[in-house]
Amino acid sequence: MADETAPIEASPQDSTGETAAPGTPSQDSRRETMAYVIGVAGWLVPGLGHALMKMWGRAVMCFLTVGTLVILGAGMRGNVFSSTANDAFDWLGYLADLGTGTFYLVARSVETGGPDVSHAGGDYGTRFLATAGVLNLLSALHAYEAARGRKA
Amino acid sequence: MNAGMGFKLSHLQSMLLFALLISIAFGFLSRRQPIERVKYIVWSLLLFLLIGVGIGWAMYPFSR
Repeated sequence: MADETAPIEASPQDSTGETAAPGTPSQDSRRETMAYVIGVAGWLVPGLGHALMKMWGRAVMCFLTVGTLVILGAGMRGNVFSSTANDAFDWLGYLADLGTGTFYLVARSVETGGPDVSHAGGDYGTRFLATAGVLNLLSALHAYEAARGRKA
Repeated sequence: MNAGMGFKLSHLQSMLLFALLISIAFGFLSRRQPIERVKYIVWSLLLFLLIGVGIGWAMYPFSR
């Protein structure tokens, strides 16, 4: 899949290949703001951060992998943690699940029967959901860094 | 796989799906060129499976 044009305003270079002087403070501030917006968008909707930078391949794959993990995890009746956590591990699970952004709501709507971790499948489902969240956070962080011109 | 009340996957199917999805995501995030991505995905998938099966065998003596 052809993909990955340069991120927004890639590092400016002159004709000799040397890095040019950094932009004005207002340009830097605008770029930083855009990077935050892209990072948050990438967290809310998996792949949206990359899509905003026209990195279509990464955007589609982030959306599909996180989405598949969420659907599988919820379908396997994994534990979708809620804010009524009882202990530190529940809180960690809740934070990991929240990493999927709006897909957290999808997981809750798919898993109408509630979790069943009495079988291995349910336990695996819990891991799938947590992995989806952490993977989406990694993807959003990658989009943020790419928007800042640090990574592509 | 049964999609009635939910997905019922075996241990091996779960591991394969997990390894495949994570490998694809890592490959796309960390590499730009298609050929580099494919190499990374295949290599990562093999390592996931090898280490998964290896840990399974390492735990076998303690399973009973």
